[in-house]
Amino acid sequence: MKIDSLTGYGDFARDIQEIIISEDQIQMRVQELGAQISNDYRGKCPVLVGVLKGVLFYMADLLRVITIPSEVDFLAVSSYSSEARTQGVVRLVKDLEIPINHRHVLFVEDVIDTGLTLNYLLRSLREREPESLEVCVLFNKPGRRIIDIPLKYKGFDLPDRFVVGYGLDHQERYRNLPFIGLLKAEAFQNPHHLRECE
Amino acid sequence: MSLKQPQAPSFVHPAEEMFARVMDYYGVRWIYEPRTFDLEWDANGKVTLAFTPDFYLSDQDLYVELTTLRPQLSTKKNKKMRLMAELYPDINIKLMKRREMRDLMVKYGLYDQAEHIQGTQAQKKAP
Repeated sequence: MKIDSLTGYGDFARDIQEIIISEDQIQMRVQELGAQISNDYRGKCPVLVGVLKGVLFYMADLLRVITIPSEVDFLAVSSYSSEARTQGVVRLVKDLEIPINHRHVLFVEDVIDTGLTLNYLLRSLREREPESLEVCVLFNKPGRRIIDIPLKYKGFDLPDRFVVGYGLDHQERYRNLPFIGLLKAEAFQNPHHLRECE
Repeated sequence: MSLKQPQAPSFVHPAEEMFARVMDYYGVRWIYEPRTFDLEWDANGKVTLAFTPDFYLSDQDLYVELTTLRPQLSTKKNKKMRLMAELYPDINIKLMKRREMRDLMVKYGLYDQAEHIQGTQAQKKAP
């Protein structure tokens, strides 16, 4: 899609080289996934679990197209970084508030690439003995996978490029773009609107 | 979380140490260079080419080879990967290319290390 159609987004448009997946495509696929989940989990009242913060947009849209009773809860975890590595292992910054033992749990993820975080979290959730535990990911980057994880529901495969939007960020920016866009190399190295939030 | 590693391994490249730390952080068990695969032999049966993948992730039954060489120097490694697929089709092995290594470092905020890996014209363009 031509970047001319992004004029409403101001400075954002200058940082996006190309739209990879449009807003309409995303919304259509989310509706399909919602219908499939509603069908598969009828009578099971699943708990949808997401990891903050990237999943916010997907979770909100998915929940609104799921037509069966369900509950939602969130986790937050530390990511590996120069600072975090001194702490040794992944740290659960926010735990679930809903007990999930004997519940049908659907782990909702915006994007999976290496699979390292997801693998860690699934292991942790399995220890709580849910009735079932499946994964519903919107964006899949198979080219970056290190840990293979079965995905029951999948939205789109993404190319192995640096993309942003619909929850995906670069240095916490661009999450609010309603589409998936390829970030320009120069924006990656020196995003010109970062100053606005400082 | 090294398995059956008698002592802390001496990593050949800083990228290997970084990879091991990331695996530790996410609770993925690994062994450093646990096995060598013979790939070519001379007429006397003497091994002339062998391959020792950098890591073995035991829970995933996966070998991982990190590419830190410049693309023009990786021809030999590509040949080894091709022979691995031919001679050991049941062995799961993932070759992490330079760009993947760099992206992994960027993902985890290791910008200095990523810069260290970058260093070629071929890799300078993209994120």
